[in-house]
Amino acid sequence: MARDVLIVDDSMTMRQMVKKTMRMAGLDVGEVYEASNGIEALAQLAEHPVAVILLDINMPTMNGIQLLTRMKGNSRLKGIPIVIASTEGSRERIEQMEEFGAFGYVRKPFQPEQLRDVLKPLLGVRDDGVDYDADTDGDLF
Amino acid sequence: MELTTTRTLTAIFSEVLANLAFLFTDDEETEPALGEVWLETSISYHGPVSGTLRFRCTRSFCELLAANLLGIDPDDEAAARQSEDAVREFMNIVCGQFVTSMHGSDDVYNLSIPHTVELPETPDLADDGGKTSSTLSVDHHVVQLIYEPK
Repeated sequence: MARDVLIVDDSMTMRQMVKKTMRMAGLDVGEVYEASNGIEALAQLAEHPVAVILLDINMPTMNGIQLLTRMKGNSRLKGIPIVIASTEGSRERIEQMEEFGAFGYVRKPFQPEQLRDVLKPLLGVRDDGVDYDADTDGDLF
Repeated sequence: MELTTTRTLTAIFSEVLANLAFLFTDDEETEPALGEVWLETSISYHGPVSGTLRFRCTRSFCELLAANLLGIDPDDEAAARQSEDAVREFMNIVCGQFVTSMHGSDDVYNLSIPHTVELPETPDLADDGGKTSSTLSVDHHVVQLIYEPK
């Protein structure tokens, strides 16, 4: 069964690119909800339970780290897998995200197969999805 | 700006542009179009080293960039509507790649939220040999990259 996704990114262009890339990657995605910052994300999560959150770090109002911290302290939200999708390349920042409980990390710009590798365990792939070779050996960071 | 920094910035810009938007820098001596509105998008990074990247281009280039990023026709109204958002996100990605390339991935750098302003007139696009800026041609559009160290 297709699972719902929340994309949290302050760029509408990037949100649309992520949606397109998920389709290209053959992921089995249901409804895709969008938020442009952490506050909007919390509002979306109050309305729509999702299977996965794709989260940018650098956003105004409430950034990705603040949202991750907020969710970690909320019993209803802390179990939702979060995949960080960011331009950040610092090892320390990526490790920090992992410590905060993020499920995985993809660095922008990413290719469909990279997104597929990190999201496939959470969403599965469509029967008609293109089958890229996985290249992660289980390490999603 | 040191020549190597300019070269690194130009190389990263060209690579991200090609991979993400399928647009390519070339060696054409393109003249800036008359009567075009120019935009400047800036983004800063802060860490052990700090700096600002500025990207100057016409609004029509931003619309082309948006169209290519979204996979839509440049005449689609979404390309015009999202042109500034597209160039901001594009520079966010360029800056992230630039910081890692120049300063490595050991230290944490915080990137600012990219900001776009309309310039009152066509900017000075004279090439200074890569010391402070780099003027490029992309698909018959002139664009300019500037790096300001802090």
